[in-house]
Amino acid sequence: MRRSLWLPVAAALALVVPAACGGAAASRAAVELTVFGAASLRDGLAAAGDAYRADNPGVSMTFSFDASSALRTQIDQGAPADVLASADTANPQALVDGELAVGPVVPFARNALTIVVPSGNPAGIRDPRDLARPGVRLVGAGEAVPISRYVDTCVEKLAGLPGYPAGYGSGVAANVVSREDNVRAALAKVELGEADAAFVYVTDAAASDAVEEVAIPAAANVEAVYGAVAISGSRHPAEAAAFVAWLAGPRGAAVLATFGFPGPAGG
Amino acid sequence: MSRSSLGLLAGAGGGLLVLFLGLPILALLARAAAGGLLPEAAGGAAVLDALALSLGTTLASLVLAVALGTPLAFVLARRRPRGSALLEALVDLPIVLPPAVAGLALLLVIGRRGWIGGPLEALGISIPFTTVAVVLAQTFVAAPFFVRAARTGFAGVDRDLEDAARVDGANEAGVFRHVTLPLAAPALAAGLVMTWARALGEFGATIMFAGNFAGRTQTLPLVVYGEFQAGSLDAAVAAAAILVLAALGVLVAVRGFGWRRALDVRSI
Repeated sequence: MRRSLWLPVAAALALVVPAACGGAAASRAAVELTVFGAASLRDGLAAAGDAYRADNPGVSMTFSFDASSALRTQIDQGAPADVLASADTANPQALVDGELAVGPVVPFARNALTIVVPSGNPAGIRDPRDLARPGVRLVGAGEAVPISRYVDTCVEKLAGLPGYPAGYGSGVAANVVSREDNVRAALAKVELGEADAAFVYVTDAAASDAVEEVAIPAAANVEAVYGAVAISGSRHPAEAAAFVAWLAGPRGAAVLATFGFPGPAGG
Repeated sequence: MSRSSLGLLAGAGGGLLVLFLGLPILALLARAAAGGLLPEAAGGAAVLDALALSLGTTLASLVLAVALGTPLAFVLARRRPRGSALLEALVDLPIVLPPAVAGLALLLVIGRRGWIGGPLEALGISIPFTTVAVVLAQTFVAAPFFVRAARTGFAGVDRDLEDAARVDGANEAGVFRHVTLPLAAPALAAGLVMTWARALGEFGATIMFAGNFAGRTQTLPLVVYGEFQAGSLDAAVAAAAILVLAALGVLVAVRGFGWRRALDVRSI
């Protein structure tokens, strides 16, 4: 009786205990940074991480990508992040204000908006004006997601351009059929052909070969400024700050530039 | 180890699990109750819209599940056609399938470029991102619960009683209505309640297939997720509390009406 109960327990312990010790030993040997990144940084930030690891062999990185607003909520709720690389400066600034991150917010990249349609453009979107046409199915990100703030500004500017009809803004708003988790989820719905169009960042459009772009007039486009911070609760504050500085420096900018990011404002 | 200390160990382990299962629910309800948070956040437009949408769509899913599931359950329980086992496995599949997989699969069939959705689109009918898509997603994941329970219910009806009714001159419709249905009723009712609860909780298939838009496809579970993502914890907690209370109500009803036997997996 006793043997049949204790043998599996002992076996389980024999497996678990060395694994736990091994894990602890590994984390002493190398610094592991957890970087929360805006969904639009998915490709660029992962490549930046690879480049940073090459420069700093003692550091390894894991990434979590989602809407910057969702990542900020997760950090608010105690998610173990070391760095937040956001698609705006407002979300990291809010963490700094709440003493959850170490200020100041470091701007490290810029981005611009574009419109994507599925390959073949089934809905025949030729111009941003067509987005307000009844029956066009637009997808966007959640209202708290940075890109939605940029899109609101952009649509307001478009509405003021000559040739845009009265009520353009409300026409666009009425065509939104879904608020996806983040900009990449909206992009995916366009790639699938489920949606007729979406506002995304130019870097998202460049990352997909299943969509076509419809340009936004320069006068109406909006500059997105990406900001990064080191998180206060980080177990590796110095390394986290070093990565943020590297990301905003020439090496980080060079990697992000290969994904179409124009580099930090004024830099 | 003596019998009593073994019992103590088992009791401690069981108690730990009860705490583990109960505390999160308690914390959720406590947070919702604290400072009148629930009425305030529950009265918000997002939660109210979602509640109305959830009630409407789950009712529609329930009607679909019963209308289409009852004949299927009856055939599976009685006629046992060739390939029944395979058919049963297929019908049970959505119960064990991750809902996100269901959503993806639905998109591939009923999406705008899907097998059925493509031709429908050519006719000007588009399902994804509509309330209809919500109903379909819920029916896909929840209907199997009804079929399963109804199958058990029909299989458990004593055939001699039906034959007795036939001898007394009842036709097949009369036998079904006055003998089979009343005898299977507890199982059908339990299946109905479980199907509704599953439809109400549906999240993954809905968000993938129907999208997320307030008032149109944003059901209560999507509000929980969406409001949390947006940092509005209070509204998320309020919507979650409504779902917990509904689920508790369902379980209490199932036990209170003595339908438990119909949920017993061993009889399936």
